[in-house]
Amino acid sequence: MAASVCRVGSTMGRVLAQTRSPLLLSLRRGQASVSYAQSLLGAPETRLSTLDNGLRVASEETGHATCTVGLWISAGSRYESEKTNGTGFFLEHMAFKGTKKHPQSALEQRVDSLGAHLSAYTSREHTAYYMKTLAKDLPQAVELLSEVVQNCSLSEAEIEQQRGLVLRELEEVESNLQEVCLDLLHATAFQGTALGHSVLGPSNTARNISRQDLVEYIDSHYKAPRMVLAAAGGVSHQELLALARSHFSGVSFEYEGDAVPVLPPCRFTGSEIRMRDDALPLAHVAIAVEGPGAASPDTVPLMVANAIIGSYDLTCGGGKNMSSRLARLAVEENLCHSFQAFHSSYSDTGLLGIYFVTDRNHIDDMMHWSQNAWMNLCTTVTESDVARGKNALKATMVGQLDGTTPICDDIGRHVLNYGRRIPLAEWDARIDAVTPKMVRDVCSKYIYDKCPAVAAVGPVEQLPDYNRMRSAMYWLRF
Amino acid sequence: MMTFAGRFGALVPLLRGTTQFIKCAVLSGAKELLPATAPGGIRLAHTDIKIPDFTDYRRPEVTDPNKSSQDSSDARRAFSYLFTGATTVVGVYAAKTVVSQFVSSMSASADVLALSKIEIKLNEIPEGKNMTFKWRGKPLFVRHRTEKEIAAEEAVNLAELRDPQHDKDRVLNPSWVIVLGVCTHLGCVPIANAGDFGGYYCPCHGSHYDASGRIRKGPAPLNLEVPYYEFPDDDTVVVG
Repeated sequence: MAASVCRVGSTMGRVLAQTRSPLLLSLRRGQASVSYAQSLLGAPETRLSTLDNGLRVASEETGHATCTVGLWISAGSRYESEKTNGTGFFLEHMAFKGTKKHPQSALEQRVDSLGAHLSAYTSREHTAYYMKTLAKDLPQAVELLSEVVQNCSLSEAEIEQQRGLVLRELEEVESNLQEVCLDLLHATAFQGTALGHSVLGPSNTARNISRQDLVEYIDSHYKAPRMVLAAAGGVSHQELLALARSHFSGVSFEYEGDAVPVLPPCRFTGSEIRMRDDALPLAHVAIAVEGPGAASPDTVPLMVANAIIGSYDLTCGGGKNMSSRLARLAVEENLCHSFQAFHSSYSDTGLLGIYFVTDRNHIDDMMHWSQNAWMNLCTTVTESDVARGKNALKATMVGQLDGTTPICDDIGRHVLNYGRRIPLAEWDARIDAVTPKMVRDVCSKYIYDKCPAVAAVGPVEQLPDYNRMRSAMYWLRF
Repeated sequence: MMTFAGRFGALVPLLRGTTQFIKCAVLSGAKELLPATAPGGIRLAHTDIKIPDFTDYRRPEVTDPNKSSQDSSDARRAFSYLFTGATTVVGVYAAKTVVSQFVSSMSASADVLALSKIEIKLNEIPEGKNMTFKWRGKPLFVRHRTEKEIAAEEAVNLAELRDPQHDKDRVLNPSWVIVLGVCTHLGCVPIANAGDFGGYYCPCHGSHYDASGRIRKGPAPLNLEVPYYEFPDDDTVVVG
């Protein structure tokens, strides 16, 4: 049977038979026309080129009728100082309010007439402007994007108007307690450093920002070597490259005074912050330790470890039969409303943690069992746990790339983080290489007997004292 | 790159700062501009919370926010644990000392202990004389024996004795006999230099002891008890 697969498949299949485990080849035939291994290797390649000014162009031709094209920039709240924190966020508000060639209504009309979606997001290390449109409209999309990024009009009237909106948005985000909790986690974990800044910025920025600040921000951060023009869908790389050359060749690559901003490392501080409010119904708690940067080889074992802990919320139907031990306990002991293990990685550091939402009488127990799950990872994780985690992780990774926009986002972020797109086949191989001993070693390196950062919002009286939580980061029995 | 292990679409990707869609209606006119100078007590957003600067309390290795704290973490932890360990050892020792001081306060006090020993100056006792002292509530006989008495006692045949003991087993220095003055019959105090054997005579029931304190005649079963004593120097004896 294995021989027939090799014959049917291409050279890839042959290579597969030689290098991969027989397990992959024993998938039941007749249920899928292409096996998992074949589909991984058969995925279209992401092509990457660089313009003369350093701007990178990357695309994946998936054959869809639509496409997503966008500009990913290495700019974010980490590049801002305390005084300028919030500029990037404000700039994002200003982005679609008109360019030098198209006033706001004209811009909106053009986008609408294409039937396109124009969006943007700002995070701590990345900013992205992207457009979802039909594949045939790629030239117009790139033209509009280039205008939005390079020639934003930034009119004074519009700035005044946006002030109120940004303040309103700040008010609104207060009710998104997950956002608040994780922002506070960053603020305390990276206190005194640029990563502690929230993306939204303090309300003072919204009130006092001027056009000059925005122009300065663009001048210092929107430089070609820090940008990637990424596209996914029914796009041809050559066409995209030509469009990039015509629209983005003018992006500057020189800095004023030759001062290239270099990101200094950000110090992590084991600490805690509690925003107690007994009037809120649920407590949101996040505990995290310092993790590796995005490009570190330790990220894959840690992703597997997080998949072992998994996530849970009240809508999960698995109940007492969920595979994650923490989820089983959450159901049986009614420990929480939801939890998830997360790993936010930045260029040279990261936060590896668990976030949970629970009512005021179960915080202590939930924290205890969360840390217990961590200790289990560091000491006694078994072969079956790791196998299960690997499968869950692979499924998640593959499942997330369902559409041109997630793929385009993946491309953009990968090129900024790693300098290239890491294909699924490579992720698969790296995940397969993880062993229980590797998980134990890597988790011990980052979690065992380390000072965590804790952030808690809501009725958090029951949250244990920091020293107790710190003591739960090791086991005396080992 | 941000990753999380979750079910598909279960949870919004974390830490996305914001997303803005041009297709959504822009809220124009419906703005609420807050006063340019908000009163100091009102916090408008969680992003206005400033984490205080704890530089004054930090260890020197972690005062620089632009240096990773990982490099020094092992050393800092080792120091903390060492300090804690040393303090624990010292604390345990101090606790042990305090407890044992309290427990030992229940043992005999100094005045009682003082009574348990008696120091006697021997040059005040002339040869042939027996002196009686009160010791631990009982009479103590200290007898300075003459040469004749010593020789006589040493020559006694052990087969004659009810409680056979050679004289040299009952004295450290043959010139001095130190015994408890309590008759081993029923506890009366024998009289010194009385009786048929040149030692002691108990008037209660007629027990005769010799110059070594051994029972010779009468109802007493045992010799007079010899307590522990030592000679710190030639002129003093400490009994007890």
